[in-house]
Amino acid sequence: MAEQNERSSETFANDGSGSRRHRVEIRQMMDKQSIRRRLFDKIATGVAMACVIAAIIPLGSILVEVVKNGVGALSLEFLTQPPGAIGSGRGGIGPAIQGTLIVIALASLIGAPVGVLAGIYLSEFAGSGKFPYAVRFLNDVLTGLPSIVVGIVAFVVVVLTIGSFSVWAGAFALSIIMIPIVVRVTEETLKIVPNSIREAGYSLGIPKWKVVVFIVLTSAKSGVLTGIVLALSRIAGETAPLIMTILGTSLFFTGFTDPVDALPLRIWRLASQPYESAHEFGWGAALILILLVLAMSVGLRILAYKRGFRTGI
Amino acid sequence: MTHEAIDSGIENIGVRPPTADLQHRYKVSIRNLNAWFGMKQALKNISLDIKKNAATAIIGPSGCGKTTLIRCLNRMHEMTPGATAKGSVILDNIDIYDKKVDPVVIKRRIGMVFQKPNPFPTMSIYDNVAAGLKLNGIKDKRLIGDVVRESLEGAALWEEVKNELSKPGLSLSGGQQQRLCIARALAMHPEVILMDEPTSALDPIASSKIEELIHSLKKDLTIITVTHNMQQAARVSDLTAFMYLGELVEYGTTKQIFENPQKDLTERYISGKFG
Amino acid sequence: MTRLLDLGIDRIQNIIMDMAKLSEKSVTTAIESYEKGASTKKVIFEWSEQLRVLQDEVGDLAIELIARYQPVATDLRFIRSCMEIAYGFSRFGRYAYDIVDVLETMGSIANCDKSAVLEMSCTVREMIHTSVQALQSKDKNAAEKLYQMDDTVDALYRKYLREAITPYEKTDKRSFDPRCYISALLILRYLERISDHACYIGDSVHYIVTGTSSPRR
Ligand SMILES: Nc1ncnc2c1ncn2[C@@H]1O[C@H](COP(=O)(O)OP(=O)(O)OP(=O)(O)O)[C@@H](O)[C@H]1O
Ligand SMILES: [Mg+2]
Repeated sequence: MAEQNERSSETFANDGSGSRRHRVEIRQMMDKQSIRRRLFDKIATGVAMACVIAAIIPLGSILVEVVKNGVGALSLEFLTQPPGAIGSGRGGIGPAIQGTLIVIALASLIGAPVGVLAGIYLSEFAGSGKFPYAVRFLNDVLTGLPSIVVGIVAFVVVVLTIGSFSVWAGAFALSIIMIPIVVRVTEETLKIVPNSIREAGYSLGIPKWKVVVFIVLTSAKSGVLTGIVLALSRIAGETAPLIMTILGTSLFFTGFTDPVDALPLRIWRLASQPYESAHEFGWGAALILILLVLAMSVGLRILAYKRGFRTGI
Repeated sequence: MTHEAIDSGIENIGVRPPTADLQHRYKVSIRNLNAWFGMKQALKNISLDIKKNAATAIIGPSGCGKTTLIRCLNRMHEMTPGATAKGSVILDNIDIYDKKVDPVVIKRRIGMVFQKPNPFPTMSIYDNVAAGLKLNGIKDKRLIGDVVRESLEGAALWEEVKNELSKPGLSLSGGQQQRLCIARALAMHPEVILMDEPTSALDPIASSKIEELIHSLKKDLTIITVTHNMQQAARVSDLTAFMYLGELVEYGTTKQIFENPQKDLTERYISGKFG
Repeated sequence: MTRLLDLGIDRIQNIIMDMAKLSEKSVTTAIESYEKGASTKKVIFEWSEQLRVLQDEVGDLAIELIARYQPVATDLRFIRSCMEIAYGFSRFGRYAYDIVDVLETMGSIANCDKSAVLEMSCTVREMIHTSVQALQSKDKNAAEKLYQMDDTVDALYRKYLREAITPYEKTDKRSFDPRCYISALLILRYLERISDHACYIGDSVHYIVTGTSSPRR
């Protein structure tokens, strides 16, 4: 045994010197690398910062411009009154705010559930067959569809059928723009929920649909809400489809089958008028639109945060 | 450990047909169970009798099919896309692979604890334990409250969390989370609990708590646990099954397997002479 | 790869083998000094002490290996048996010392009839050798052989005992010297104990190999 021990310790020593040589070699190579790496790190960080600034400058200047030009127009009258005579500089954008809120609410009442459910289907039930593949593909195409095309479709399907421009038609068009975004984001966020959470649910004998709704969906809640907020911000600024669906008016809401006004429409109208006062109103309306979108996204987030650990079971 | 009782009960535990007189001793009888992942066969003709009110450990090298085996026992295996299983698993007197049997109902009778603690992330400690009941249609608040408390006590967690039941489950430590998961499984009042390496993510103190728990849970439950830790198997289980490459190599009392294994393969594995 | 446990097991095995040699030598020497009348008390005392020290060493090492490596199966059985075997060997040394101690006490026994002791000692030495051999080669069948020899030893012992309590039937000159009877009987007794311990060693080997205790035990 002693003999064996000696032999094994010898082998050990050999191994040791071999690996020691390697260690030195590896260290040297790495040291050389690390100088280059540090340099590269600095350059990469610099480039990234430059890109961020390049992206922020236009965004920031737009915001500054809007606030600077729009603040002057803000007043109670501006927010609550219908537009006065053209060029008079009187009245406000009350109907547009009201209309935007109504149309967006209605659109998301249609779009959010449909989108979320479709996202759930794709993530949780569809698997990887041909049909779900087709659905995903179509959904992607729909995301990239120009909104004017959606407007035309809504015009043909709803406006011509009902016989008048209407809130319904606008909501329909906006929901069609909204759905693919919500579907995509919902599917992606649900897929991030670890499978172990689902299995934990199944292992308790909870039926699959309940696992999906009360466990998976609640775990991915904030992601899904982000998707909805994203879609809402997108449709809040849509103009083209609204021209062909709600038309725009200077009156307050009179019914779901009648035309209404909307902020983007109003901004467009005001901007195309040759009067200074109209332009100022336009900036004001733009500011209101931005604040509206901001409020929606902050509001939804607070809601999501507040409901924190309540499951809603 | 009650070696004597087990020794006298099952000297030559082997593959036996589940006859009526054995039913009171065996909670689960696995018969000719095969399982696949796509084309790859992960379990090969496993037959095994699991004793009632005892802890059975499944040991074997990585990839030998331990997890697959216990996932077949509550029909979780087939939920993996492409995974299939064939054979029979008799729970008391029903074959859970019978066409008429609803896999969801089986899962209510056979609880499962996973390798990594996986509390429901958005739920409070209380809701984590209550989830199984609530989502299975139980509305009686008082009943749920009682069961939550009982289960947390059963999982030796109550004293640590009784004042913070509304905190999120994820705010607990790893060992506490695993006991929370055990409590969650206990709340369903299962007859059998499957544990897949329940302590692999835990430190020795937390592990020994879980081990003590396994020991005390045996009074009311049948426990099947997978472990890579041979000493743990030796400590907590009454019976041990050794698997290799999807096959059951040896099954016997833990004392016998660790003191006097009959198969050379088993001996080599448990004494670390593998490979 | 050598397991760390194997290093310890090798060590324990070496100690056991040293003990085997030493104990065999002690018994042989003791019997020879009975036969030839040489005084070996001192050296055998030393050897017997040494065996006790080695036995303690085996015990300590066994406990350490169990605590550190939690051996199972054959390893565990081997380590457990090593403790028993080491005890057996240390008993051999002790009985060898007892034998020479008797010789010392009795004084001259040169004229006694030593055939009985020598007859039995042949078998007992063979048993010691067989047990050591069995341990070396992990021969599980040795136990059976040892028990057969043990039967012979027991029979011999009983026979001489009977003879000793009926001296008047004999007209032998031995009957006139009680030292002869007493020394022979005591030594026979020690040899009988040694043979029992040799059997236990055979049992241990059987247990190491099969995991079950030998059917005779
Ligand atoms: N999802 C899967 N898809 C395909 N093959 C799988 C899958 N899961 C496991 N397998 C295969 O099935 C076999 C058994 O795996 P299993 O997870 O049951 O092993 P295990 O004994 O639990 O191993 P470990 O101790 O590492 O957890 C392995 O060979 C593995 O490659
Ligand atoms: Mg596994």
